[in-house]
Amino acid sequence: MTDREKQSRPVKAGEDPEGAFALLVGEHQRLVYAVALRLTGDATAAEDITQETFIAAWRHLGDFRGESSLKTWLLRIAANKARSWWRWKKVRSWLSLDARQDGEGPALQDLLPDDPKGRPEEAARAAELERRVQGAINALPPRQREVAALRAQGLGIAETAAALGMAEGTVKAHWFEARRKLEAALGDYL
Amino acid sequence: MNEEEKEEKLLSLLSARRSGAFWSAQRARILSAAPRRRAPARAWLLLPAAAALLVAVLARAPRTPEVQEPPAATAAFIEHLDLLDDLDVLEALPEGEL
Repeated sequence: MTDREKQSRPVKAGEDPEGAFALLVGEHQRLVYAVALRLTGDATAAEDITQETFIAAWRHLGDFRGESSLKTWLLRIAANKARSWWRWKKVRSWLSLDARQDGEGPALQDLLPDDPKGRPEEAARAAELERRVQGAINALPPRQREVAALRAQGLGIAETAAALGMAEGTVKAHWFEARRKLEAALGDYL
Repeated sequence: MNEEEKEEKLLSLLSARRSGAFWSAQRARILSAAPRRRAPARAWLLLPAAAALLVAVLARAPRTPEVQEPPAATAAFIEHLDLLDDLDVLEALPEGEL
């Protein structure tokens, strides 16, 4: 193997794969969870998708070719799992197995701030904000929702396009529309 | 507020806010689940090696000579012959004597 080939190889977990995996989870778990939550609007589903995303990454880390960033790769896995979740939800709804239509909100204790001062007030405000934000996102069409969920986590247009398998122009158009609708729905907070 | 500031504010609204305890618990769940879920995959990877090992062991095992059937007539065979003899006698007898 030439030096150039060695340099072009993706970085592997090396001798301590479990340690490397723990670092990967620590670095990206908030991002993956936030995207899953915004895509599904269901806190329980978001937790499941986050866990499944990292387990899939753990099992297939050897297949990661380094053509995209690890962040983009993880988000693509999460977005695909969220799409599967929606398909499953539609089937359940069609079979009338799923009476609940709205997503399940987060548990109140998960919204509580770490600082114990002013907890009840802050938790109530956070819960109301969460409900309004998720409601506004749920009202978006699926593709606009996906773009908004990724843009909300700080991904640029190019990264969002790579993670969702869309053209950059398509991402821009979806984001333009999504932003207009979100600003209208959340105008009180802006 | 200009457009960029408005967009930043909107993006910050859309982020997911959770407590530190939530993130710690989630991280622990993922880390405990991942190696467990990988175990079957590792086991499947070992299957071809296990099969090759089994073939090698069987190939090296000393072959025992096949046990020959005893050539001697068994008691059942002899009794069978006796019956045949009787049958010959029966056939040789005229019907009236039976």
